[in-house]
Amino acid sequence: MKRFKFVLLSLLAVTLVVSMAGCGGGSTQQSSAPKDSVTIAIPSEPSTLDAQYADDGNMRDVTDNVVESLLQLNGQTMKVEPSLAVSYSQTGATTWDFKLRPGVKFSNGDPFTADDVVYSVERQISPALKSNIAGNFDTIKSAQKVNDNEVTITTTGPDLNIPQKISLLKILDQKWMQANPTAVNTSTIIGTGPYTIVKWDRAQDIVLARNDSYWGPKPAIKTVTFRFIEEDATREAALNSGEVDMAVNMLPEYVPSLPKVITSEGIESGMVRFNAMSGVFKDPKVRLAAIYAVDDAALVKSLYQGYAKVSNPMLQKSGYIGYDGNLQPYPYDLNKAKQLLAASGYKGQQVQLVGESGRWLKDGELVQTVGQMLTQAGFNVSVKTLAFSDWLTILFDRSKAPDMIFTFHSADTYDVDRTLSTYVESTGPGSAYPNTLDKAIDQARTEIDPSKQQSEYDAISQTLYNDPAWIPLVSIDSIYGVQKNVQYKPRLDGVIDLTAVSLQ
Amino acid sequence: MARYIIKRLINAFVVVIAVSVLVFVLTRAVGNPINVMLPLDAPQAERIALAHQLGIDRPLWVQFLSYSDGVLHGSFGNSWWQGIPAMTVVGQRLPITLKLTFYAFLIAIIFGIPLGMLAALRPRSWLDKLASTSSMLGISIPNFWLGLMLILVFAQKLHWFYTSGLGDWRHWVLPAVALGVLPLGRITQVVRTEMLEQLREMYVVTARSKGLAEWLVVSRHALKNAGIAVVTMSAWEIGRMIAGYTVVIEVVFGVSGLGDLIVDTIAHMDYPLLQAITFVVASFISLLNLVTDLTYPLFNPRVKFE
Repeated sequence: MKRFKFVLLSLLAVTLVVSMAGCGGGSTQQSSAPKDSVTIAIPSEPSTLDAQYADDGNMRDVTDNVVESLLQLNGQTMKVEPSLAVSYSQTGATTWDFKLRPGVKFSNGDPFTADDVVYSVERQISPALKSNIAGNFDTIKSAQKVNDNEVTITTTGPDLNIPQKISLLKILDQKWMQANPTAVNTSTIIGTGPYTIVKWDRAQDIVLARNDSYWGPKPAIKTVTFRFIEEDATREAALNSGEVDMAVNMLPEYVPSLPKVITSEGIESGMVRFNAMSGVFKDPKVRLAAIYAVDDAALVKSLYQGYAKVSNPMLQKSGYIGYDGNLQPYPYDLNKAKQLLAASGYKGQQVQLVGESGRWLKDGELVQTVGQMLTQAGFNVSVKTLAFSDWLTILFDRSKAPDMIFTFHSADTYDVDRTLSTYVESTGPGSAYPNTLDKAIDQARTEIDPSKQQSEYDAISQTLYNDPAWIPLVSIDSIYGVQKNVQYKPRLDGVIDLTAVSLQ
Repeated sequence: MARYIIKRLINAFVVVIAVSVLVFVLTRAVGNPINVMLPLDAPQAERIALAHQLGIDRPLWVQFLSYSDGVLHGSFGNSWWQGIPAMTVVGQRLPITLKLTFYAFLIAIIFGIPLGMLAALRPRSWLDKLASTSSMLGISIPNFWLGLMLILVFAQKLHWFYTSGLGDWRHWVLPAVALGVLPLGRITQVVRTEMLEQLREMYVVTARSKGLAEWLVVSRHALKNAGIAVVTMSAWEIGRMIAGYTVVIEVVFGVSGLGDLIVDTIAHMDYPLLQAITFVVASFISLLNLVTDLTYPLFNPRVKFE
């Protein structure tokens, strides 16, 4: 009898669940959402809100709107602008002076002072923090308070890139941090920015509210909810179903089905690094042949459906320190490639092109296509696609450098030195280039006269143009899917700027 | 009985230790976490400094001793990626995965057991064919594809449920269905096979010939004897869901549970967190197996534990 009841009950439950699903209430669309709040879908949840500890996934989309730095980078030009400092000047080879903005308050009401700046710099460079972004600030030695509105920052050696680096160094509220030492890891962070954190429901969402005591212009949107949706197709569905107002990192093939699309250039650039030290590519003619054989414009058009840009030879964007504006992208010239190859000693030896798949948009296809293009020019290419961690190990081991290896590069400190010291200088972690430029790179890095530094970088760029270290490929555009009523002006670095969001 | 449980607990302990050692060795054999943790263009000095900070520049046996020491004192260390204790992270995510697995399992047994029984009672009928076909479909449809289709139809087009995320019941239905379909198919098949077998047994013939009502024959005798196989399969499927299927389902539906966490943890090569997750999952599955075995006497009193 009992068993029979169980069967009956099961059937009843089935009917119940089905009917519940059938009459599943109204719609999930948020049609009556107030006009001054938006929900944004980002792929990954920040692991922490400690903006000095990490630069993880989509963390800066949240924290850059809450915590500010002494200086900031203009989202369109990537040039340094005042923020919590109204002005700055280099007072010596290794000293920089910052005049602080008066009358600024943290969102909790604490006044912003020189002590907060000294505290923030010291915390950021302290080894005890174990910061993953410590490398951005490795030339900063100390900070001293001059008076309540002035701070001096001292570097370990000459470094003209200090303003860029300072724009990444977040200023925290000393009083609050010392009273709540672990809150940044678990719940919130206090800053001077245009937004404050209302609540962080781990694994669900982060809600931000406009900081009405903000010193700068008042943003249009009052409440912002960040939701974390890793799967691209699900993020697209969330936008199309009306659950979110903006979805970042949309794929080119989604564009026709989205309500509205806003795009921006990206700053990460694809490239294929040569082993210029030994093997076939020791000869610069063979390297140039490979460069002329790759049709970047075709990659933009066919692989990325137009949502990408051809990279310049130095993989730089204008506005970066050391950017050489005279350097044009290499043209695509298959005949020239074949001639160069014939003039070199290349006898059809097999060359290896190592790539990976799944980290960047269509990276696997990109490597395969480049391999095909090289084959057409007469190279005997063998493409090898590795798992990400294996690929990384090979990329960063100079002694195991393959003939060619594919990667994406972004100069995180917005200067050409990051690129050169990584992939050209013989001590660089990703370098497979002889030490011929080491001296010039070091000279330019420690230069104290900006115009002299620029001409030194131009000379290095020119040398590399003819004796290259990599094949420049393309930088992929950022695609934002938005609802029809959403207006947004994206930043070049892809970080979401909530003050640039508005609703019609 | 008590001796049996103690013996099994010791067994489970050995299994968990073995899994932990294996994970420790395997993670250290694949690649360098420094390359993953730092930006691609980080300077060499920063790489060396971070390796030293994390202690992974020490010999493997020293690392293992310090890890074991931590575990014996109840600490799995801080997650490298999140900067907070690894067990705290697991504690935040585990309940979400357990909840999702529970809902999926509920769907699997509520539909699977009656469907399998009905199919066995009417072999080769349309009902049987329906049960076999749908269970085969459930087993063979890739669950990420099913998940995306469910989102497309029931969230994006019909707006019955949410596409993703956590919240009220309308967030849970689609992921639970997508996760439950595979165990549903397996349980239907096991119930059907077991019931067919039991219904051929002599005790069923006896029960029928002494005039017992058919529903009593089926429910009180046949189903009870099929119970062990069904419970065993259910436990197996729960284990598979927690340690496998939820990975895909949680990523597709933006459910930030343990499965979703495992993907990120591996991508970040966060050893302490990976060790904490595998420890918890291995412990859970060992206990699940023990509990399953302990239920056997409910179905067959001849089962004794020694």
